[in-house]
Amino acid sequence: MSAIRFEQVEKSFGSHVKALDGVDLTVADREFVAIVGASGCGKTTCLRLVAGFEAPTGGRITVGGKPVTEPGPDRAVVFQQFALFPWKTVAQNIAFGLRNKGMPSAERQERVAAAIDMIGLSSHADAYPHQLSGGMQQRVAIARAYVLEPEVLLMDEPFGALDAQTRVVMQEELVRLARRNPRTVLFITHGVEEAVYLADRVAIMTRRPGRIKEMIDVKAVRETERWEEHARIEDVMDLESFIHLRTHIWKSLREEKPAGR
Amino acid sequence: MKFSRRMCVGMATLVVIAAFWYVATTGLGLISAGRFPAPSDVETAAVQAFVRGYPDTTLLVHVLHSLRLVALGFLVSVTLGVPLGLLMGWNRTAEALINPVFLLLRPIPPLAWIPLAILWLGLGDGAKVMVIVIAALPPAVITTQAGVRSVPPQIVEAAQMLGTPRLRFVWDVLAPAAAPMIFTGLRLALQASWTTLVAAELVGSLAGLGYVLNVAQQDLYPGMILVGMAAVGVLGAGSTALLGMAERRAIGWAQLRGAA
Repeated sequence: MSAIRFEQVEKSFGSHVKALDGVDLTVADREFVAIVGASGCGKTTCLRLVAGFEAPTGGRITVGGKPVTEPGPDRAVVFQQFALFPWKTVAQNIAFGLRNKGMPSAERQERVAAAIDMIGLSSHADAYPHQLSGGMQQRVAIARAYVLEPEVLLMDEPFGALDAQTRVVMQEELVRLARRNPRTVLFITHGVEEAVYLADRVAIMTRRPGRIKEMIDVKAVRETERWEEHARIEDVMDLESFIHLRTHIWKSLREEKPAGR
Repeated sequence: MKFSRRMCVGMATLVVIAAFWYVATTGLGLISAGRFPAPSDVETAAVQAFVRGYPDTTLLVHVLHSLRLVALGFLVSVTLGVPLGLLMGWNRTAEALINPVFLLLRPIPPLAWIPLAILWLGLGDGAKVMVIVIAALPPAVITTQAGVRSVPPQIVEAAQMLGTPRLRFVWDVLAPAAAPMIFTGLRLALQASWTTLVAAELVGSLAGLGYVLNVAQQDLYPGMILVGMAAVGVLGAGSTALLGMAERRAIGWAQLRGAA
């Protein structure tokens, strides 16, 4: 059981900036929820609160029924800028969290090798992050998170720093990975199509101070319209049901007037 | 190879300077031997220093004596300074406690400590090492602290979310992330060690390069002064090169990243 629950969560920075104003959101166990919203609406703040990097100034956040107090390996984070350790190789980066858990060396090596295999970087196990492309680095960051078998996976615009082609490949890979090995996922993005393609539900946020404006159930549509039968992202994006959802979310976001106008 | 090309240019510069030196002294006699020695004077002095010894013992003994002081002072500075810098960079309370002391002590020239050092530790090596440490400690501390401050917050957060225990966080995240800056600090500390050494050895020494320089000055012996200075230069450059090799070995990742 590892649902994420936001209860009337508020977050202010200093006395002037109110980032979140009463966020209510539940991500069920093994559910994939994407939060979309304009830049600066507080969606990344939501993720940072669940990760334990920041504390809410009001309300409550629980993971698996327990309030979040500090960062921990039960809530693995994938950062937009990868945040790999540049002085460690691919294998050492992925092994880092397992070493913290005190896992015996033999088991650790096995798990790391499996994770490297999963992301298709077996020939780069001893490479350093700067020797890899952006897409490869983000794969390592995803493996570093997945290998911990965390209850919850927090992804903060993980594909935002990648070029368009790499992004599409990574999105397809993430779908395969999430199907094989489902986790409770909170996924932050400003890409509407990405959110609809990946998530079970999409949460639309208002402008700052952020609240959840609308929840879109993508999973029901995906299942009745059989998106799974299409392996390629562009084929899914061509489906009428996909376009319908995407346009709906776009319109909902457009209704949000830019701040100060 | 690019590297050897650079070496050639460097060598050429040295050759030109040597030629100019020869022409200005021995060749045209523009500079009198009493002010600046001719190459032949330096050669005589060098032979004397290496073979017969000046004063008392050979240059090798003086070099070893000085090397020992610099190594001691440098090592003490690093083993105290790097952990202190890590602590001050990471812990605001520690910084608030220690920084005022540093702010007060830093403007005092290290050589101004010599009287106190002699009072405390006598005329032996202890006082000299202390003066070297006083000169070399601040750069080690300050650059390490700045290095910790410049660690990207996301690296710290990544370590936190991976459940890194405190001790491992310091030696396996903070220290390597700050390592490029720490090595800059080590280089500054090494330079400070050498520059302070000679002055520290001017007082109450019976060996060492500073002592050679001091005696040569009293003997009005320009050739030997130059030999002493050259020895300090060569040793300083050599030890800095050694440190550079250690740096490339330890944090090759940082240099590769810079090249990418």
